Amino acid sequence: MDFSISTEDLEIFQEVRLFIQKETTPELLKEAHGCEMIYGGPESRKFIKKFAANGWLTPTWPEEYGGMGASEMLTYMIREEMTYAGVPSFFAGAHFTGPTILRNASEEMKKKWLPPIARGEIEFAMGYSEPDAGSDMLSLKMKAEDKGDHWLVNGQKTFNTHAHVADYHWLAVRTDPDAPKHKGISLLIVDMKSPGISVQPMNTLIAKTNDVFYDNVKVPKENLVGEVNKGYQYLLGALNFERMFPFGHYRKCYESVVEFSRNTIVDGAPLSKSPTVRQKLADMAIDLEAARLLYYHLPYLLDSGKVPSYQTSMEKIFMSERVARKLTQSAMEIMGPYGQLDEHDKWAPSANLVNYYFRWGILETIYGGTSEIQRNIIAQRGLGLPRD
Amino acid sequence: MDYNLSEDQAILKDEFQKLLAKECTSDTIREMMASEKGYSELLWQKMAELGWMGLLIPEAYDGAYESFIDMLVLLYEMGYACLPGPFFSTAVVGTLTLLEAGNEAQKKTILPKVATGEHLLALAWTESTGTYTPKGIQMKAEQDGDDFILNGTKLFVPDAHVADTIFCVARTDESKEAPEKGVSLFAVDADSEGLSIHPHKTFTGEKLSEVAFDQVRLPGTALMGPLNQAWPILQKILMTAVVAKSADMSGGAQKVLEMAVSHAKVREQFDRPIGSFQAVQHHCANMVIEADVSRFMTYHAGWRIDEGLDFTKEAAMCKAWVSESYRRLVLLGHQVLGGISFTLEEDMHLYTYRAKGAELFFGDADFHREMVARSMNL
Repeated sequence: MDFSISTEDLEIFQEVRLFIQKETTPELLKEAHGCEMIYGGPESRKFIKKFAANGWLTPTWPEEYGGMGASEMLTYMIREEMTYAGVPSFFAGAHFTGPTILRNASEEMKKKWLPPIARGEIEFAMGYSEPDAGSDMLSLKMKAEDKGDHWLVNGQKTFNTHAHVADYHWLAVRTDPDAPKHKGISLLIVDMKSPGISVQPMNTLIAKTNDVFYDNVKVPKENLVGEVNKGYQYLLGALNFERMFPFGHYRKCYESVVEFSRNTIVDGAPLSKSPTVRQKLADMAIDLEAARLLYYHLPYLLDSGKVPSYQTSMEKIFMSERVARKLTQSAMEIMGPYGQLDEHDKWAPSANLVNYYFRWGILETIYGGTSEIQRNIIAQRGLGLPRD
Repeated sequence: MDYNLSEDQAILKDEFQKLLAKECTSDTIREMMASEKGYSELLWQKMAELGWMGLLIPEAYDGAYESFIDMLVLLYEMGYACLPGPFFSTAVVGTLTLLEAGNEAQKKTILPKVATGEHLLALAWTESTGTYTPKGIQMKAEQDGDDFILNGTKLFVPDAHVADTIFCVARTDESKEAPEKGVSLFAVDADSEGLSIHPHKTFTGEKLSEVAFDQVRLPGTALMGPLNQAWPILQKILMTAVVAKSADMSGGAQKVLEMAVSHAKVREQFDRPIGSFQAVQHHCANMVIEADVSRFMTYHAGWRIDEGLDFTKEAAMCKAWVSESYRRLVLLGHQVLGGISFTLEEDMHLYTYRAKGAELFFGDADFHREMVARSMNL
């Protein structure tokens, strides 16, 4: 048992933290807040390029591809710090597409795509979900036909966050309609500026996301990731390695509620002296602590050569249900009627992060695999219970 | 970071498991619980010979202390096996009390006998309010020359009925405005004149007693630690002991999870194992989360204790979490096992009762959440 951080990781982490503190401008925070901490706007891109120049965007990658050969622990710590700071922190390239390329693609492809991702120059949008393929990803229909010198792609993707700002689409397509469902899927990288692609915004209660339509889009043959029809295998592999659900933003939200409780006098005493409020605040602190232990368990497993699978699902369930949902719900309760005020209302307390993250909480148990899918994974992969 | 036991600890764990799997069976648990003493003296002696009683006792007092985590590993296995008896009162709470508050003479006289298994301990703390707050201490210890005279009633005292020495918390100064300022701790021989022990009737199987003091006269040498200043020491004992109790609870949680999963794999309804139904799978998935978080919280707090770091907040978080988590998990276990789970032939209820007893021990979740709030200076 050792719950301490290595000196090496800690030293780099302190540097990262100082950098973030120094480089965070009100403009950056505003832009990041406005686009849900993904990276795409001009301020975010400026910040990320400077940040990534140190190798911090992809710490575990080999140096030849722009990483620093560092530990997973450091990566998880950096992500957690970024979400806490409110700077852009949700990356498709650095955390999903890059690692899949690293593990499965040709050397040529690695050399082409990895360095610009690591430098923070390009960003992807994930193109998995379709109107009839949500939790049941295997039912995806978007068609890619082999036309000799290119792939011809037709169909629709939905809930593609980043698509309105990304440079490339990381697209799961059906390349063999006659094969069993899991043996006919491939992954393509598509330039978002390709003719025939149209992006239509979907307005949601918190995050901007998009429908993406493909109408006879031509994709160069060399943009196939790895081998044809092995896409689902790569995708599952990525699920084991790259599902990382930091929760620094909820820690920040929590701190704002603690501050609100200390500073708000109700019936002659600060809210923080009310037994009910104290119980809630303590409970929230405990959930954050539990989430922390589940979160850092994952890089511990990775760094010791093990592959987390159901452990990631546990962290996701806990983070989304007990932190994102329950913590923000309790925070709203503590704030009473003030909790519903928009940040622009003149009566809005400084703790107005709460209403924003309350709405995020609704999203968290759905995106990235619903809580129900996560529980299936835990039961079937973790406990060996039979699939029906 | 390392979330795993060291190699030595893994070997210890294996040893603990082996003896308990052999000696602490469904039948023997029931025999021990039904007996007046609540434990098997034969097994007690075997445990002592293996050095289990002395895991917190330093070598200077004939113990085998190496780390607090070692004790957590043992308690985890005891919780897993659902071992009843006064081990926790003697080798954890009592031993901690002696180590934290006892003077050299008290430690030298008692600890070596604890290590050999021939001396049992109990801590009498709570009274009629049932709380671990300073105001709850009403029992009086009046000075009479060099002696002290104790009067009052302690309730819910674990394992007092078998203890040789009962450590007793009493009020020695009522004039102080702050209630925590006038509290002292005494080592009382269980056969002292005027002391009477009456076991409570509990449904949980916990062996708790009322311990009544009627003009019990103690020599001045019975005082442990400085007069009127026992409260901070008691706080440390409490916060350390709740981490230890959480290890027992985490082990029990793991066992209940395993019972549910193995049942779900073989029990068939609607022509298939019930474990293939998502409703059951999701119960089991929830149980793993409960069990793993409890274990992580426990070992994290234990690690802080071993490292000499401040651990009050982590210990309070741990007990608050584990108290409710074990309860939730055990109820899910009942749900997965269905009707048979509430028959007395099945072992599930043993864990349900144990979870309830442990939840109430040394402060429930509400109590420890308040401790968390205080440690955050709220």
